[in-house]
Order: sequence, then C-alpha cells, then structure tokens
Amino acid sequence: MLLTYRHLGGLGVALWAVTILVCLFLLVPIVFIAALSFGSSQWLVFPPPSWTLRWYRELAADPRWLEAALTSAKVGLLSAALAVLLALMASFALVRGRFRGRGLLRALFLTPMVLPVIVFAVAIYALFLRVGLNGTLVGFVLAHTVLAFPFAVIPIVNSLEGFDKSIEDAAVLCGASPLQAKLKITLPAIRIGLFSAAVFAFLISWDEVVVAIFMASPDLQTLPVRIWGALRQDLSPVIAAASTILVAFTLLVMAAAALLRRRISR
Amino acid sequence: MAANASVPRRQRRGFGPAVPALVLLALFFVIPVVSLLLRSILEPEFGLQNYAELFATSTYARVLYNTFLVAFVVTAVSLLLGYPVAWLLAIMPQRYANLVLAIILVSMWTNLLARTYAWMVLLQRTGLINTTLMKLGLISEPLALVKNLTGVTIGMTYIMLPFIILPLYASIRAIDPTTLQAAALCGAGRWQAFRRVLLPLSAPGAAAGGLMVFVMSLGYFVTPALLGSASQMMLAEMIAQLVQSLLNWGLGSAAAFILLTVTLALYAVQIRFFGGMR
Repeated sequence: MLLTYRHLGGLGVALWAVTILVCLFLLVPIVFIAALSFGSSQWLVFPPPSWTLRWYRELAADPRWLEAALTSAKVGLLSAALAVLLALMASFALVRGRFRGRGLLRALFLTPMVLPVIVFAVAIYALFLRVGLNGTLVGFVLAHTVLAFPFAVIPIVNSLEGFDKSIEDAAVLCGASPLQAKLKITLPAIRIGLFSAAVFAFLISWDEVVVAIFMASPDLQTLPVRIWGALRQDLSPVIAAASTILVAFTLLVMAAAALLRRRISR
Repeated sequence: MAANASVPRRQRRGFGPAVPALVLLALFFVIPVVSLLLRSILEPEFGLQNYAELFATSTYARVLYNTFLVAFVVTAVSLLLGYPVAWLLAIMPQRYANLVLAIILVSMWTNLLARTYAWMVLLQRTGLINTTLMKLGLISEPLALVKNLTGVTIGMTYIMLPFIILPLYASIRAIDPTTLQAAALCGAGRWQAFRRVLLPLSAPGAAAGGLMVFVMSLGYFVTPALLGSASQMMLAEMIAQLVQSLLNWGLGSAAAFILLTVTLALYAVQIRFFGGMR
C-alpha cells in the first residue's frame, strides 16, 4: 500500500516531514534575500532592526546597475530573436527533412545544453580574443544564442511534430504558395511552441553568468556579471536588492508567459 | 549506377533550412571547442605533457579528487532528500502537489547568483545559521560553513534537488499502485514491498536523475567559486583560473578535455541504459 496516500499511516507522517523540510530548504533562502533587501542592517542582521528602501535607492543612484540591466535586456531580446528564428528553420529540417544524418544533426543541436558551460565559455573566449569580439554586444549575443538554441529547438520541434502537415498541403492545393501556407497556416498553429521557445531563450540569456563573466569588459556587463563582481568584493545589501529585482523579473516573465499561453491556446 | 547517382540528391531533401543554424553552431560552437581541445596537445609543444602534468602535480590531482568527491556527496544527499519528496508528491492530493511543484519550479528558476548569495549570507560566521545554533547553545564557536567544501556541498545540493525530484516524481507516478497491493496480498511487509517492488521500479528514474546531477555537479562553476575557497578548488574553477589568470592555455585545455570526456561518457551511459533525456 506504499503508493496509496490514505494507507500510508505513520510512514506518511515521515514523508510529509521530509517534504516540508525540503520545501522550506528550497524556499527560505529566496524569501530571506527579499527580506534582507528591505532590511536596514548594513551587516545583513536577520531579522532586520527596521525596514527601509535605502538599498533600492542606492541601486537606482548608481548608473552602472541600470546600464547592466539594459545590456542584459538587449542581449536577452536579441539572442532570443536570433535563436527562435534559427530554431524555427532548423525544426522544419529536423521534423520534415528526409536526409541521412538527421539524428546526428538533432544531437548536435542539443549539445550546447549538455556540454559543461565552462568548456564552452573558455572556448568562445579564446575565439573572441582572436577576433576581438570580447566585450562587445555582438559577442554576447552570438554566445548566448548558441546556449539558448537547444532550449528554442525543443518546444518548436515538439509543436511542429504535433501539427498535421496535410493542413498546410491543403492550403497549397487551394492556391497558396508554400511560403504563404507556412506563414499563414503553420506558424499560427505552432505559436505556443514558438512562444515557449522565445521565453526559454530569453530567460537562459537573462540568467546566464559563466560565459558572460568571460566575455564582459568593464564597459559592457550584464546584470549577473555586475552582481558577480559585487559579490566578490563584499556582501552588501545592495546586492540583495539587485538579486530581488532579478528574481522578481524572472517570476514576472514566467507568470506573464503562463497567462499569455493560456490565452493564445484558446 | 545511374540509380546510385540520384541517391545523394534525394538524401538531402529538406536539409536546407537547417543550414543557418548549422553555420552558427559550426562557427561559434564546434570550431571553438575543438580548437580549444587541440591546444591541450599543441601548447607549448606537441605531446601529452599537459595531461602528464595534470595527473602528476598533487595540487591538480587534488582538484580532480575534490570535484568527484563533491559531485558524489551532492548526488547522494540529493537522492536521499529527494526520494521521499518525489514519492509523496506522486501520491499526494493534487492541490498539495501543485503547491509543492510550484515551490520546486520557483526555486529552479530563481537566478543562480541570487540563490548562491543567499547561502553566502546564511552560512557566514555571523550568519543566521551560526547565530541560531549559538543562541540555542548547541555550539560555542561559529562553525566554518562557507569558504570550504561544506559550503559548496550545501549550496550545490540546494541547486540540484529539483533535478532529482522531478524525474523521480515522473517515474514513481508511472508505477501502477496495484503492483504494491499485489505485493501486500502476497504477504510482503512494508519494508519488503519497498525494497523489492517500489525501489526497483523507481530505480531508473533515480539513476537518470542521479546521473544528471552528478554530471552537472562535475562542471559547476558559480557555486563552488563563491561558496568554496581557492585552496579547495573544483575543476571548473581551475580551468577558469589556468586560462584567465595564469594564461596557461595548454593545461587549461587539458583540464577542459577531461571534464568534457567524463561528461559525454556519462551521458552516453545514460542514453544507452535509460534511453535519452526526456
């Protein structure tokens, strides 16, 4: 009866105890950081002696933080756009192509996801040293597009596999050009896959830190690089404020994505 | 012969749209990674001296040992903590399950640096954990929980737990509960039913999750760099340091090659025995 909830008895109490502990373990640090970012203690005393917005004001007063956030947004949007475009085309080849080595191609397309990021970071850093792309927006976007690409391919391939090609063929038979049929029939039909791909790709870039650390210059830094740099100096509550904004933004994107997905899937 | 000549053309059907992505990955992924790995046998001169140096120098050998040790402990602890959660999650009423899943997903999607920062603050000498333990009178001196492998292990377990719980949850959910009723009817006690039915049936999920966490832990950079110390480095940090601070590209590439080989070998094992990842 180990898989019947009602018959667990004393064992259920033990399982619940571990589950609650693990949930607290997962949740407490996040809540803790958010609380500290509003706390008045410079030395991060918890619970804070009083509440303040001081750290957020310091954050807003320092233009380097704002610049970093803007860079992150720019890199994220450009990488997501590029990754989704390339992944859309590649997915047509993966799903509909009939050529030798298709399985190999699929494996190659997913490799950036499983390769240890540090190996890719060092490799692309070496290449960009040679061609002078370190510390440039183009460099950031190219590197992040590679990392985001698999996360864009997976949802698009999945939704394209679920789409009945004969509908597209019917449109062509009715006089649409193949391109027209793809744009007007197929793309709207797989919009949820495209949308998930864009959200995933953006968040991968937005949260990426390892490659960004190598690529960044003092003049061009993403938000995670800026936090990383600050963390290596001290544990100032300003970092708690920056982290809270970063987390809040990610949660916002996810919540908005969930809502939008529900709306467009109707 | 004539038929043969037409075969390659047909075999390329529909390949075209993949070309842009292929070019991007070739230029900015395959070529850089391969040329990095080549540097391990080309710099400073052709040969395997970089690999010999890695294994012969006790500092570097120590880093390899640390890396595997931490990855192993993190995997074991995550499995021990994650198994009961995945188990209960698979059978608890849906409204509770949704809540627990939401907590897991939020923690997974919270920025890595934010989470690591939280542990830096929580674990420091004057942090919440040490002050609480001292107030309770359990310890008289603050424990050294950070800037060592203890801190790295705690921080990484925290990050890896969702990656164990989710696949295990899926595999336990897929088990037919009547197999356990059958075990009970056949006279199996709870322990016996667990050991001989539930555990073997959920083993593939546990192995897949465990292997993934082990592999991810081997190459982790951020958490060890922030919660660990320079005297107890892990592999990814060592690669970064060799390349960025010491400019020893040959040695750094050799270390990267070792990490890459172990990672791909373990993924190959996973695909061979547990059939792909998702």
